[in-house]
Amino acid sequence: MPVGPSQTDDLGAWTEKVLPTNLSAVRETEREVLGLLRDLQYDEDHLFAVRLALEEALVNAMKHGNGFDPNLSVYVWYRATPERVEIRVADEGRGFDPGGVPDPTADENLERPCGRGIMLMRCYMDEVTFSREGNEVSMVKHRQP
Amino acid sequence: MAQTNEIVHVTEHKGVKLVRLRSGAIREEREADTLGRELLALAEEPGQRIVLSFLGVEYLTSLVLGKLIQVHKQLAESGGEIRLADIHPQIREVFRITNLESLFKIHEHEREALARFLSDAER
Repeated sequence: MPVGPSQTDDLGAWTEKVLPTNLSAVRETEREVLGLLRDLQYDEDHLFAVRLALEEALVNAMKHGNGFDPNLSVYVWYRATPERVEIRVADEGRGFDPGGVPDPTADENLERPCGRGIMLMRCYMDEVTFSREGNEVSMVKHRQP
Repeated sequence: MAQTNEIVHVTEHKGVKLVRLRSGAIREEREADTLGRELLALAEEPGQRIVLSFLGVEYLTSLVLGKLIQVHKQLAESGGEIRLADIHPQIREVFRITNLESLFKIHEHEREALARFLSDAER
């Protein structure tokens, strides 16, 4: 199981979830995270951005990371303050090199079906970093750009 | 003649198929797969022209974008085309960011998309 983020800093406690590799678990996690952001009165643009990035991260983890293996899990940690929301998603797959994913916006790649998930995460969140192995992604969205 | 499938509702207008989505969000892989399959079935006829209306759709993910690209490729091989219409501003932004605006013709409304398709055919 991945170690997860430190609980010792002063930005608030993380909520941790362990999900089965099953896409039906994506929706419940989204509902929880968006509910937290609605309670903190984030606007619709922020909710759209976080929802999209979270869903792309979870689908990537289950599909490309765990290869839809039902014996593997996906780990999610999240926390939010009125100023920022942080999300981490880890899978139990072999990882990948995010730098090796071709630019899906390049003309020669436009008709390729893959690579847009990571790109959308990077566009809609303010910070997106992958672990060295590539099987954990950390994302931050600030309330004020 | 109208045709209702699991994900799409189809009507035909002078040879152009107008496709509307029956759900406001296509999110799960199964739904995206079904959408792709239903659109690919419509695209089987050589030279088919399709307008896909996103009226009422407020959310989609890259799964759907991948399916649309598949449909675009299949249609392009036979001289057909898919055009998009009625896209919610937040989703339009997704198309802009991913540069898919350069792959698909996007119209404000389905009515305009149908009219442009028909007028282009008359040229």
